[in-house]
Amino acid sequence: MKRIYTNIYPENRNGLPLKKSIFVITGLLLSTLTSALAASPFDSIEYRGNVTAELLGFSQPATHNGDHRLNTSISTEVEFYYPFSSGNSDLVVTPFVRVDQHDEERTHVDFREFLYRWNNDNWEIQAGLGKVFWGVAESVNIVDVINTRDAVEGILDNEKLGQPMIQLSWLRDQGSLDFLILPGFREQTFAGEDGRPRFPFVVDTSLADTSSFTSGRNVDFALRYTTTIDDWDLGFSVFDGTDRDPEFIPVFGDTPADVRLQPIYGQITQAGIDAQATLDSWLLKFEGIFQSGDLTEDHIELVTGFEYSFFGIKDTDADLGIIAEYLFDDRDAGISQAFQNDLLLGMRLALNDEDSTDALLGTIVDLDSQSLTFTFEASRRIGNSFKISANAVVWADTSEDPLLQLLSDEDYLELEVSWFF
Amino acid sequence: MKLANWQTDKQFLNSANCSKDEANIATLIESYGKDMDSKYLINQNIRNSSISSSVIKRIRMYSGVFVTTAFVFFATSITTPLQAETPEEKGLAIAIEADKRNEGFVDTTATMRMVLRNRAGRESLREMRSMVLEVTGDGDKSLTIFDEPRDVKGTASLTFSHATEPDDQWLYLPALKRVKRISSKNKSGPFMGSEFAFEDIASQEVDKYTYKHLKDDTLNGRDVFVVESYPAYKNSGYTRLISWIDKTEYYPLKTEFYDRKNSLLKTLKFSEYNQYLSKYWRAHRMDMENHQTGKSTTLSWADFKFQNGLKSSDFNSKSLKRFR
Repeated sequence: MKRIYTNIYPENRNGLPLKKSIFVITGLLLSTLTSALAASPFDSIEYRGNVTAELLGFSQPATHNGDHRLNTSISTEVEFYYPFSSGNSDLVVTPFVRVDQHDEERTHVDFREFLYRWNNDNWEIQAGLGKVFWGVAESVNIVDVINTRDAVEGILDNEKLGQPMIQLSWLRDQGSLDFLILPGFREQTFAGEDGRPRFPFVVDTSLADTSSFTSGRNVDFALRYTTTIDDWDLGFSVFDGTDRDPEFIPVFGDTPADVRLQPIYGQITQAGIDAQATLDSWLLKFEGIFQSGDLTEDHIELVTGFEYSFFGIKDTDADLGIIAEYLFDDRDAGISQAFQNDLLLGMRLALNDEDSTDALLGTIVDLDSQSLTFTFEASRRIGNSFKISANAVVWADTSEDPLLQLLSDEDYLELEVSWFF
Repeated sequence: MKLANWQTDKQFLNSANCSKDEANIATLIESYGKDMDSKYLINQNIRNSSISSSVIKRIRMYSGVFVTTAFVFFATSITTPLQAETPEEKGLAIAIEADKRNEGFVDTTATMRMVLRNRAGRESLREMRSMVLEVTGDGDKSLTIFDEPRDVKGTASLTFSHATEPDDQWLYLPALKRVKRISSKNKSGPFMGSEFAFEDIASQEVDKYTYKHLKDDTLNGRDVFVVESYPAYKNSGYTRLISWIDKTEYYPLKTEFYDRKNSLLKTLKFSEYNQYLSKYWRAHRMDMENHQTGKSTTLSWADFKFQNGLKSSDFNSKSLKRFR
């Protein structure tokens, strides 16, 4: 839940210099790439990608920011792939661009990947901007600490910013070892002043405190071992460096209403375990971390639960999955530990038709405050190249929850049309 | 006990000369037979004692990854059949011979194109690339990379197949860079919305079925065996399959699938066979028709290549991201 909430913190307009520099860097990289592509035999370049148009509708006018109830946005992500003639190395470049009607913070550019990859059977090196995924859970992946979230992208999307990295991997049938050197750090994005949904507080990225990274050794490290033993998939990871999830300090302005939040990025050391047992119709899942840091007390976090599938319900092709996950954080409840004692209950329906129609209905129950967060995601393919989807988030029974109460006017429905090429 | 132990203990079984000796088999049951699947195999073994040593051995894929009626034993070191061969023995012997003829392909790559047609005639397209690695002593490893439809382009599925134990299966989702272990229980579900079920395109092992020879016949002017087979693995959508097997080359020409209520569900026709490396026959076209829904799927294969030097490191869930 922490991620869901941090996603929608608002932000002051002062983030512009950073954004400008991103545009400049992006422009330079793009022009470099374009000339590289032009100089090379063009037929060996492959690409795939999508253009997505999005319409966002809110149930209530906003009380704390722009009064719009509708927002439109368009985004594109293209993955360019250039295999080198040696046959065992390639370059993957994946620019992402979004233009948003209201939120200037959501109008942004990123390289999800700008990655040189080399492999020699059991050895693999990746260097550049990259993206990794660690973990097994459906609600939150607490062991997944390498990439900073691109939180302006949306509550239900798990979008990540490209992370500068050098990753060395040793792959064996028995298990695989990854060693990551992370020489750079990306700040999390937040919805802007005119962005929705968001909390009434402004997260002011211009105040962001990254001194623990810049004044430290400036390089983070991580190690991960994964293995499969029969029905079990296991992962063990260690991370030492800058926390990708910031803490927040309120900064008071001239009037009582003027409260902004300063994101502070601390240093953490974290050890994590993730495990999944795949037993017939059951997927049993566990993620656990022990974390210590300069801004947080030593603590553990857990996510554990199951997914059970009914295959071919009522003699149709459709599958129905039941998901339950419990989320625990042993720190006292605070603004950034929203998943302190929560339960996710979900239902996934896949029709398995030629249009891949599926839907996921979820409820997050805060067991302390009894507040509810409902999520809904559904999609289906249109023809061979288009896909439509509908997503919604609704908050309910938030009266006992001071944090979620602030979101009661932010219920929304999102419609998307994507063209894939 | 894991079925795989049967293969690793192959030498022991050979030296026991169990094919002739039910007492030896009984000993084997004692030492190995805690497990239902194994018991099943051994019982079958006893019933088919004239060819039993081959039953103990295991089983390969018939035609690349994806042939329904695959008959997959190898090693038919057989004793003299003094008694008249029963229909079950003959059916199994055909399966074993078919498997023997597909042994030693090492690895295969190919492209697949599926055209799905619904009752109204609307078509949709699937394109995939397939890689298979033959594994001695266990089921084969296979990798499928999706190219069409475009929203799943780059998605890859990796399967370690086993004869009667559930397969191990992983899915790579390129947008998230996420590798997900998935349940392989859903045997009867549709593959990519097509009329091919997962069990139709899965790696086929002889142990996955029991067999019964029904009759000899002719089909399209070819002499064929007509063999009925019964899934021995859990969660199949079929009670039985009837296959028309070419008598000379031991490949299937047609298969009928009967659903859980024993009604005719689907018919699969194999055509455009080519031979590779002077040994391995591959159908380049498979037409599956669903008689109950009126839908059909045509699966076309192309670009078969054998012995490409694929390694087990290519079939690692962690290296799925390498493929395009």
